[in-house]
Amino acid sequence: MPVSHTVAVLLDDALLTLNRAVGVLRRRNVPIERLALRPTATAGVSQLTFILKADAATADRVAQQFHKIVGVRDVVLAATEDSTREVQS
Amino acid sequence: MSELLTGAQILRRTLVDAGVEVMFGYPGGAIMPFYDALHGQLPRHILVRHEQAAAHAADGYARASNRVGVCVATSGPGATNLVTGLATAHMDGSPVLAITGQVGRPMLGRDAFQETDVVGVTLPVTKHNVLVRDVEDLADDVREAMAIAMEGRPGPVLVDVPKDVQNQKAEYRSRTEPIRREQRDPGREPPDDATLREVARLIAEAQRPLLMIGRGVIVSGAYAEVRELAERTGTPVITTLLGISAFPDGHPLFLGMPGMHGEVRVNRAIQHADLIVGIGLRFDDRVTGNTAGFAPRARIIHIDLDRAEIGKNVPVALGIVGDARDVTRRLAALVQPRTCERWLGEIREFTRPRAAAFRGDLAPETILASLYQATEGRCTIVTDVGQHQMWVAKLYPYREPNSHITSGGLGTMGFAVPAAMGVHLARPGETVWAISGDGGFQMNMAEIATMVQERLPVKMAIFNNGYLGMVRQWQQFFHGKRYSCTPIWSPDYVKLAEAYGIPGWRVKEAAELPDVVAQANDHSGPALVEFVIEQEANVYPMIPPGGSLSEPIETAPAGAGD
Repeated sequence: MPVSHTVAVLLDDALLTLNRAVGVLRRRNVPIERLALRPTATAGVSQLTFILKADAATADRVAQQFHKIVGVRDVVLAATEDSTREVQS
Repeated sequence: MSELLTGAQILRRTLVDAGVEVMFGYPGGAIMPFYDALHGQLPRHILVRHEQAAAHAADGYARASNRVGVCVATSGPGATNLVTGLATAHMDGSPVLAITGQVGRPMLGRDAFQETDVVGVTLPVTKHNVLVRDVEDLADDVREAMAIAMEGRPGPVLVDVPKDVQNQKAEYRSRTEPIRREQRDPGREPPDDATLREVARLIAEAQRPLLMIGRGVIVSGAYAEVRELAERTGTPVITTLLGISAFPDGHPLFLGMPGMHGEVRVNRAIQHADLIVGIGLRFDDRVTGNTAGFAPRARIIHIDLDRAEIGKNVPVALGIVGDARDVTRRLAALVQPRTCERWLGEIREFTRPRAAAFRGDLAPETILASLYQATEGRCTIVTDVGQHQMWVAKLYPYREPNSHITSGGLGTMGFAVPAAMGVHLARPGETVWAISGDGGFQMNMAEIATMVQERLPVKMAIFNNGYLGMVRQWQQFFHGKRYSCTPIWSPDYVKLAEAYGIPGWRVKEAAELPDVVAQANDHSGPALVEFVIEQEANVYPMIPPGGSLSEPIETAPAGAGD
């Protein structure tokens, strides 16, 4: 059953890392509804947050793809309601 | 200990200190300082005739040695010519390092002569890539890239070095400790015993278990472990295209290759299995056919190093992230000894007579038998892509581990000839045969010159049917036999060989095989043999694209008969 999932990716604050992360969303044909980038409390670390509409297994598989990117520090698959929550880094 | 060197010298020293013995490349403007530093120095450099061949050769070297294969190109067209080779290595998990020259930093982003954003271009087809910003970063950027290429599921990496960075001077610091990066992947702890005991229980309870093994078994060298697991549990073994040679052909538990061109009994075994233990494979669509109808009775246990692969293509009952060798060794120690005689008997009943696909006596099976005889089964075979690739995969009896190398995931025509050069350099004492069709061979046949100049004694076999055979087969089956743009003319390959100064033969009759194949095999340098085969021969059986493994095509469809 497709519902909205929020994935928060903590990554190095570098254009190439960001390019790689956004590239995965495009290449893996991820059904994105919203996308945002913001700084975190930790210097040199940004948070890429996106909301996708998919079943739980698909959302988990998308999250797994981000673990493979060099420069990604953490990936958090959050509950739907928590889409605005800032993930602590 | 430190000394002042140019970036180009640092790059060369870093490669030598990392154990790189050979690399494949082509010089050009933006990489000239590196080539200057290389003059008369190690690593050995193989001058290819096209950068694509450099990437495939590095890939072949990597697959044959399980070490990083290195290719070098200049900026712009040199770098973009590497892309197909990097994509090939990326799909099949092969550790290739590409080093590219780049325009000087002041010119970056200004559309300078031979400037291409190769980091951007190769982003989706590399595991990691980097533009070196300063000579101080150069050595560690290279070391880190090589470490990433090898760690976990291997893959290609690219280091882009601006020309002025190659000319900058800095101290060279050799480094013996491994490069440190933030270890950020929490999914890498080994699976716990409880999980493995659960797998052992499922195997014990299964009536119709199967092992499906892929390239992950070759990468981790889990041959003995897989064999022990299979023998202790009596479980029959299926090897994917990239898993071929990971389990000995001729072993009583060996079934063969599954999927689009798998034998009927192999695919039927999958469709009847109640448990599939997949090790180091990714259940690619050429293996599964339509996933909705794949292994309808089976629970699937998936063991793979890349956790993003677990459940990606087929739903799994249990996923285990780990190294094939470690996990299989632990699993083999936990399982209860058993046999599966009734199940093996059922599978034997699935066997179908092979469809007669060939007119005349020069059938691929006969050619490959003569090759096996001449080499006594002790050679590495590198195949290209298409009909010959499937015939070799199905018919050649591999006995030595990792003796079959091919482009699987990307299906890159033109791969075999350059990749075989890399395989030879990884295994200089062994015989290497590159088998291609007449289409794929013509894509990279310029590399014969490389073999002659660099003394690489690769044996080349061409299965010549005058068509782009696999596409023609699809046109016959699915496009009303309209052979659009698939008839392909070839030069006189014997004269071509002569032009390059190497021996060449044309074989039209099976009677000529033993003598010619033995002569080519025993020749001390590169040699070429053209086999003129039946023009409209097909690869049977075939699961139509998107079809179920249960519904193979075993003869040409009505109206498309030959």
